[in-house]
Amino acid sequence: MINSVVRFIVIIVLLILLQVLVFNNIQFSGFVNPYVYIMIILILPSVTPAWLVLIISFLTGLIIDLFSGSPGMHASATLLAGFSRPLVLRLISPRDGYESGSDLSMAAYGFRWFLIYAAIIVVIHHTALFFLEVFRLTDFFRTIFRILLSSLFTLGFILLIEYYRKGR
Amino acid sequence: MRNLLNFLLKYNNIIVFLLLEGIALFWLTNGNEYHNSRVVRGMKGMTRGIEERMNNVRTYLSLREINSSLASENSLLRDRLDRFTRQEDLKFIPVDNPLFRQQFTYTSARVINNSANKQKNYFTLDKGRSQGLKTDMAVTSGDNVAGVIVGCSENFSIAISLLNIDFRLSARIKSSGYFGSLTWDGRNYRYAVLNEIPQHIALSKGDTIETTSYSAIFPEGIRIGTVSDFKKTGSDFYKITIELFTDFKKLQHVNVIGNMKRTEQLGLENQLQ
Repeated sequence: MINSVVRFIVIIVLLILLQVLVFNNIQFSGFVNPYVYIMIILILPSVTPAWLVLIISFLTGLIIDLFSGSPGMHASATLLAGFSRPLVLRLISPRDGYESGSDLSMAAYGFRWFLIYAAIIVVIHHTALFFLEVFRLTDFFRTIFRILLSSLFTLGFILLIEYYRKGR
Repeated sequence: MRNLLNFLLKYNNIIVFLLLEGIALFWLTNGNEYHNSRVVRGMKGMTRGIEERMNNVRTYLSLREINSSLASENSLLRDRLDRFTRQEDLKFIPVDNPLFRQQFTYTSARVINNSANKQKNYFTLDKGRSQGLKTDMAVTSGDNVAGVIVGCSENFSIAISLLNIDFRLSARIKSSGYFGSLTWDGRNYRYAVLNEIPQHIALSKGDTIETTSYSAIFPEGIRIGTVSDFKKTGSDFYKITIELFTDFKKLQHVNVIGNMKRTEQLGLENQLQ
């Protein structure tokens, strides 16, 4: 129990550092901004109570906000992702339900399940984030395009990280 | 009472969600205003150490480019110095003498945090109030427009970048002198848009766009960019796309320009309006 808590804290710190030090510095034409830190919300164990997920997502967003100088933007988007997590989990639950002991990982529930799960959460998070950033509805389709492109990249990086996380 | 407790138990997640989301949105709308970048500045104090270290690495990696630009600037200055020292009767007049009529002060600064990929971009400078920087001072890179300072702490300043959808700048076409307002449309970091130029004016691609002195922030004639494309729209005005001279992705050494007579000019203008 204690062991897995420590493990998750290490993962959270690593993902935040990765986001702040590497991915925040990717400036590729303003269309591709991968936000890989959302993976923290994805891989919290299925037994985590919903309120704890909310608080973790809020704090994560807060830290990212402090580093990227965007007050409240990441906090509210990540919170929305954290809020929709239980709903998404219920929506795509495997036939036998979730085993309380296992992580929500690709290794436990298969590539297809993880892809769908990650894609839904990432798109929810990015949609909230990019619309909060623009804060207006002009250039609607350009924003949609940015959301889709960035989601694609984020998803790619998440799958890559997930692959190596279980490969240890 | 019991019902209330049951209600709270049943919907506790939604309540936590709404509460935290409220805090986040309040923060977002409060921090979003143009001049409230002071809030951002306050928060940045906490993360500054890491940012400075990262910036050191970045600066180190581009030393070669900086060297070559410094070398060319050196030769230019030496050339100018030569011309000045040859003047025979150079009188010594203290700078604060009103006869000298110095209007703009210049100082250099280094950019220690910058972005070009958001809709509202700001950059941070490594000088602040104790080095004489104030809000509403102009920031240029080389001879080209970069931004305007919006907040200062003791040793750091935050400037709003030209690449910010809230940024407005009075600009004119160098050849004809007609002026309009320059904005960034949030699309490409190399291009900005010049509005309010009437359609009866002859324009051509490659025309230089420079600042006017109307805002009392920028000196007259600081270069902004060249016309890369213009279209006649349904209204009476052109839609002109400007290719910017400043490359905001490698902004590192900038000049800060203060207008010593800004208060005087604005005071007089306010008096009569």
